[in-house]
Amino acid sequence: MNAIDPVMGAKAEVKQNLEVADNQVTVGSCFTDAPKMTMRNVNVFYDDKQAIHNVSVDIAKNEVIAMIGPSGCGKSTFLRSLNRMNDTVESCRVEGEICMDGENLYAPKLDVVELRARVGMVFQKPNPFPKSIYDNVAYGPKIHGLADTRVDLDEIVEDSLRKASLWEEVKERLHQSGTGLSGGQQQRLCIARAIAVSPEVILMDEPCSALDPIATAKIEELIEELSQNFTIAIVTHSMQQAARVSHRTAYFHLGRLIEVNPTEQVFTMPEHELTEAYITGRFG
Amino acid sequence: MTKPVNTPVNNLEKIRKSLGRRNRSEHLFRWYGRLAILIGLAAVTVLFTDIVSKGHGAFRISYMQLEVEYDQDLIGVDNLTDPEQLILGNWQAVPKQALRQQFPDVSGRSDKRKLYGLVSNGSGFDLKDRLLANPLLLGTRETVWILADDDIDTYYKSWLDGEPYAARLSDKQVQWISELHDQGKIRLQFNSNLFTRGDSREPEQAGIRGAVMGSLFTLLLTLMLSFPIGVAAAIYLEEFAPKNGWTDFIEVNINNLAAVPSIIFGLLGLAIFINFFHVPRSVPIVGGLVLTLMTLPTIIITSRAAIKSVPPSIREAALGMGASKYQMVLHHVLPLALPGMLTGAIIGMAQALGESAPLLMIGMVAFIVDIPGGFSDPATVLPVQIFLWADSPERAFIEKTSAAIMVLLSFLIVMNTSAVWLRKRLERRW
Amino acid sequence: MDKMTFENHYMKQFDEELEEIRTRLMEMGGKVEQQLQNAIRAIGEADSKLAEEVIKEEQLVDNMEVDIDEACILIIARRQPAASDLRLVMMVTKAVNDLERIGDEAKKIANHALILADESGSSKGYTEVRHLGQSVISMLSNALDAFARFDVDAAMRTIEEDKQIDQEYKTALRELATYMMEDPRSISRVINILWVVRSLERIGDHAKNLCEQIVFVVKGKDIRHQK
Repeated sequence: MNAIDPVMGAKAEVKQNLEVADNQVTVGSCFTDAPKMTMRNVNVFYDDKQAIHNVSVDIAKNEVIAMIGPSGCGKSTFLRSLNRMNDTVESCRVEGEICMDGENLYAPKLDVVELRARVGMVFQKPNPFPKSIYDNVAYGPKIHGLADTRVDLDEIVEDSLRKASLWEEVKERLHQSGTGLSGGQQQRLCIARAIAVSPEVILMDEPCSALDPIATAKIEELIEELSQNFTIAIVTHSMQQAARVSHRTAYFHLGRLIEVNPTEQVFTMPEHELTEAYITGRFG
Repeated sequence: MTKPVNTPVNNLEKIRKSLGRRNRSEHLFRWYGRLAILIGLAAVTVLFTDIVSKGHGAFRISYMQLEVEYDQDLIGVDNLTDPEQLILGNWQAVPKQALRQQFPDVSGRSDKRKLYGLVSNGSGFDLKDRLLANPLLLGTRETVWILADDDIDTYYKSWLDGEPYAARLSDKQVQWISELHDQGKIRLQFNSNLFTRGDSREPEQAGIRGAVMGSLFTLLLTLMLSFPIGVAAAIYLEEFAPKNGWTDFIEVNINNLAAVPSIIFGLLGLAIFINFFHVPRSVPIVGGLVLTLMTLPTIIITSRAAIKSVPPSIREAALGMGASKYQMVLHHVLPLALPGMLTGAIIGMAQALGESAPLLMIGMVAFIVDIPGGFSDPATVLPVQIFLWADSPERAFIEKTSAAIMVLLSFLIVMNTSAVWLRKRLERRW
Repeated sequence: MDKMTFENHYMKQFDEELEEIRTRLMEMGGKVEQQLQNAIRAIGEADSKLAEEVIKEEQLVDNMEVDIDEACILIIARRQPAASDLRLVMMVTKAVNDLERIGDEAKKIANHALILADESGSSKGYTEVRHLGQSVISMLSNALDAFARFDVDAAMRTIEEDKQIDQEYKTALRELATYMMEDPRSISRVINILWVVRSLERIGDHAKNLCEQIVFVVKGKDIRHQK
C-alpha cells in the first residue's frame, strides 16, 4: 500500500501537472496521412483572454473525432472556429492556420457563406426553424440554389430525411411545424437540415445534451451511419458517448489540447495523466 | 460536538411560526392589487359614463315635418343644369315659405325671424341637394323632414327629458314647438350629419367626417413613413451595427426622444417643415411628418425589443446553414419579430391618433369645413376637432364634443384590440 | 504512470468501492496461500485432519470469489470505470478466477493427502513435493506482494520464477517415474504424488497469470502469450 499516494500527495502531484501544462505539447497521434482538415498552432482569444492555446491537430476524412474535456476547456470554442461561427462574436479573434483540403479557412478572400455550406453544424439545443419540416430541410438548398426544380428539391428533402433516419416518422406530416416534433426528432431534423446541402464536414456541439437516452442512442446510431459519407467532429460532455461513437478522441484542458489518440486507447490506456484523471473522474 | 442550531423539530416550529406572517402579507398584497384594479376600473367607468351620458344625445337630432314647394319663381331657378343659377338661387326661401304656411297667423318682422329660426339655416341647401338628386320635383310640392336649428334641438331634447332649457328661445318659439309636437311634426332622428359632414359653425350641421378623414390621411402617412424607417433602424441597430460607443449614444438618444413632450415635435415641425421646407400649413403631409418624428422612437424601441426576443439559437441555425446575415434577418428574425413590431406600430399609431399638441403648432387647428380629399388638402384631426368644439360657445357643441370623444375612443379601442389580435394571430412558439 | 492510485475520485464512494475489491482480493489471496501451505503440510506430516480442514475451507474461497465478482459487476454497472479503473476491475475479475482455481488445486492436493495418509506407506516422493511446494508457495506469495504494491518489476521477476518451477516439475516427474520403475508396488501411491505435483505446477501457472494481470493494470499492456 506504500506505493499509493495519500490524498494530499496526489493533489499536489496533479497541481504540478497543471503547471506543466503551460508549455504542454500534445501527446498521442495528432496527425494523419490523409487529413480532411488541418489545424496548426491555433490560438483563439476573447478580447485579451486566451481561450485556445496553440492547438495543432488533423481531422481525417470520414473520421468521427470526439472532443472532450471539462467545462470551459475551450472545446466548443475550438469547434466553432472550424466553420467560423466565432465570427459572430465580436470580441473573438482566431490566430494560426485552419485548413480544409489545404485551403485556409481564414483567408480574406474566402466567403464564410461558402464555408458554412461545406462545414455544417448541429447545435446543443435542437433549433429547428419555426417553419414546416419540409421548409426546414429545404432551406439550405433554397438559399444556396442547389435545386433547379421543385422535384429536385423534393428529392433532396426526402433523401436528407432518410439519411437522418427521420423520413419514416415524418413523411405523413412534412408540412407541419418542425417545432411540434419531440426533442430527439427535432435534433434529427437539424441534422437532416445540415446534410441537405451535402457538407463535407459536420460539426456537432453537444448534440445530445438535451435529449433522453433513447433519443441519444438514435442520434449516436445516426452518427455512426453518417461517418460513411461525412467527416464528423463532435463535442460532448458524455465520455461514454465519445467512447461509443468516435474513432479518435481529443482531450482539451484549460484551452490546451492535451492528448489525441484512438478512442479505444484513450478509454483503456490514456497516455497523459490529465486525460486519465478526467476520464476516470478524478481531481485534475 | 456543539449543540446544533437547527434540528428538524425546532426548524419546523420556526417555519410554522413564520407561516402566519407570510400568509398574512401575501393576503394583504393581493388585496392591494385588487384595490388598485378596482380604482382603475372605477375611474374608467366614471369617465365613460360621463362621456356617454353627455354625448349619446348627439347621435339623434331634431327634424320638423314641413310641406315644401319647389317653386321656380320663389327660388329663382328654372334650369337645374345651370351652375350659376344654382349658386344664385334663394334656397332658404323654400323652408321659410313652408314655415309660413305651417304657421299662417305669424306676422311682424321680429316674429317672422323667430319663426324662420326654427329650422337650420342650412336646410335650404339640404332641399337643393334633394332637388338635384331628383330634378322632377321642381315645381311640385312634397312633405319632408327638415333639420331643426341647434337651439330648437337643444330645447326639444331637454323638454323631452322633462328639464326644458329655454334660455335662448322666445315664448312664441316654445309654443310653436309644442304645437308641432302635438301634431307629431317634430321628432328625433338618427344624426347622420355627424358622420357625413365636415365642421360647421352651426352645431346641427357640424360633423366629424372632415376630422376623421384628416386623421386618416395623417395616420396613413405616419404609418407609411415611421414603420419602414423604424423597423429598418431597429434591425440595423440590433443586427448589423457594431457594438461601440456610437451605438450606445444613439440608443440613449432614441430612448430620450421617446420621452420628449410632443409639443416640442410640433415646434420642430413648424421650424423645419413649414418655415424651412415651406410645406403648406394645416395639411396632413406636415401633420404626418411631425407625428412620424414623434412615433419613430416608440416603434424603434418596440421593434428592437421584438428583435431581441427572437432566440439566438434561430440566428445560429440560420448562420450555420450558410445564410448570409441579410438572409438570416429577412427569413428568420423578421417573421418572428413581426408580431411584436406590429403591436408596437399600432400602439404608436394609437398614440399619434390621440395626439393634438404638436398639430396645434403646425396649424392643423384651423376651422375647415371641406372634407379633405388628399394629403395636401387643409385638414384637421379628431383630437383637434374635439378641442375646437369644446371651445365653442354653443350649448349643442357640448354633446357633440362628447360624441366625438366617443368616436375617437372607439377608434382607439379598435386599434388596440387589433394589436392584441394580431399578436395572438401571428405569434408562433419556437 | 508506474504509480497506481485508485483514489481522488470526485465520488468518494468510488474510491471506497475500488479499495474494497482490492482488500478483499488480498484477503482471498491470503486465504488461498494458507490453504496451499496447509495442504502441502498435510502430505508431509500425513495429517489427515489438516487435509480435511483444507477440503472444508475450500467452500470459503468459492464464496469469496462469488462476492468479489459481484462487487466488480456492480462497479461496472454503476460507475462505468474507464482507463486504470477499468483495468483494475477487469484484472480483479480475472484474478479471483485464478485464485479460486488455486484453491481448487489446494483442495485436490488435500484429497490426495488424505489417500496418502490412509495408505501410510513409504515417504518416497515427499521430498519432491516439499521442494516444488516451497517454490510454488513462494511464487504465489511474491505474486500477491506484487499485486499489493502494483509493483511491475516484482511481477516480472515472479513470472520468470514460473520457468524454474516448470523445470523443477519436469525433474520431479523424472524422479517419480524412476520410483515407479524401481518398485512397481508403489505405482498407485506414486501416481497420487504425481497428481499433487501436477497440481502444484498448475498453481504456478495461475500465479503467473496473476502477475501478467498486474502488468496489464499498471502498464496497460497485455503480455500474455508472448514469447
